[in-house]
Amino acid sequence: MYSREILLDRALCLKKARSFFSDRKYVEVDVPAITKHPSIDLHIEVMQTKVSDKETGYLHTSPEYLMKRLLSFGLGDIYYLGHVFRKNELGQIHNPEFTMAEWYRSNTSYENFLNEIVEFIQLFLPCSSFKRLSYRETFLKYTQMDYLTASKEELFNFAKKHIDIDQMWDKDTLLNLILSHLIEPCLGRDELFILDSYPASQAALAKTKMAGDEEVAMRFEFYYNGIELANGFHELSCSKEQRRRFLQENEKRKANQKKPLELDEKFLEALERGIGDCFGVAAGFDRLFMLKHKKKELKEVIPFSWEEI
Amino acid sequence: MAQVSTNEVKPGMKIEMENEPYVVVSNQFVKPGKGQAFNRIRLKHIVSGKVVEKTYKSGEKFDLADIVESKMRLLYTDPDSAIFMNDESFEQISIPFSLLENSRNWLKEDILYDIIFYKGHVVEVMPPTFMELVVSETAPGVRGDTASGRVLKPATLETGAKIQIPIFIDEGEKIKVDTRTTEYVSRVQ
Repeated sequence: MYSREILLDRALCLKKARSFFSDRKYVEVDVPAITKHPSIDLHIEVMQTKVSDKETGYLHTSPEYLMKRLLSFGLGDIYYLGHVFRKNELGQIHNPEFTMAEWYRSNTSYENFLNEIVEFIQLFLPCSSFKRLSYRETFLKYTQMDYLTASKEELFNFAKKHIDIDQMWDKDTLLNLILSHLIEPCLGRDELFILDSYPASQAALAKTKMAGDEEVAMRFEFYYNGIELANGFHELSCSKEQRRRFLQENEKRKANQKKPLELDEKFLEALERGIGDCFGVAAGFDRLFMLKHKKKELKEVIPFSWEEI
Repeated sequence: MAQVSTNEVKPGMKIEMENEPYVVVSNQFVKPGKGQAFNRIRLKHIVSGKVVEKTYKSGEKFDLADIVESKMRLLYTDPDSAIFMNDESFEQISIPFSLLENSRNWLKEDILYDIIFYKGHVVEVMPPTFMELVVSETAPGVRGDTASGRVLKPATLETGAKIQIPIFIDEGEKIKVDTRTTEYVSRVQ
């Protein structure tokens, strides 16, 4: 909904975000929003369009594949600040089109990269400290269950005590349900919270490593007052492993009655060429800006929400 | 039967769950960036009014409830039922008081009611939101009561509804009431 004050500040924040990146020697890349190879992720739905009468294109859900191709050419540290599109995402803190800041940094450490993300968030929120806990420890803290060994029935019975569900779902769905309904709302009460070391099954495009008996993904999420703000990875750079994950995701798609996608061979070639040892993160600009203005819904801080167009 | 996906469900829609009719109160979309999307849906049972909150995977389907609403005029009441007529088709139906739990005390002849049919059977009779009714019974207002903060007194309306009214309203006067909350709105001149 229209507010002159908010839109003026929004313009200022977009400008500040760009200065943040240029001050740190990032190069802005405005990669195409229409792509031939959308995200293969089972849980991210894509909007389809026509680029000609014959050829289909897809609105990007994240600029990741194309940015990594640019990394493989040696462009250096890069960022994207612009719109991305996700089908069927509409709610108080979801809009089918939203503004994302995504950036990639090489020659850095995990700690330094996290600190840089905190500095970015500080453009919007006055938070100096953060808590950091692994997925496994977080799960244990809030549910008294070890996600790795808990059975489907134990997860279901725990969820059922708090949420009215009718059906038994698979283990990953139940983990997602418990995390999103019962744990996330508690994360980051008036401070930043970093959830990391995800289950390897939720690695997405992150490297994995062994942590004792558990294979964990070097993936992290930032939360503030229960709201997810950013997702990042120590980026998977092995082309062979990437191909294996694409094929695995396609199997999951089939099992969920979704069309498997053609693999993005140019992206796999880019990994072959090498993207170096790098970290990457995508942050939701609109959510950060919403929290800055202490609002509860995205539609209060964007020029027009889908429903207002 | 027509279906609707849990991510298209909007407040006010009437859906069916376990063969019972519900009206959607709210639908909250919950989705981690890279995880399964869910919809937390609050539903109110159309007959009992009981509210439940259910969580579904986004994209699961509900059947739309076979609900028809029809405006009908109350013709008269007999000892155990009320007889309504559709002004256009002149069709008449008799609804037993046992089905009129929520509207039993708002029945007045010649008023139009919303009659809700589920699978062809009456499940609810909705009185107009505002009705103008005569106060049939109330004690006279006592002067000075306002000092103790008591500005309302109990009364019974011509339809049998029990309501709190301002002390300055007397028996036989007509008032406007909100049937949703059973609250006094104003005096009708």
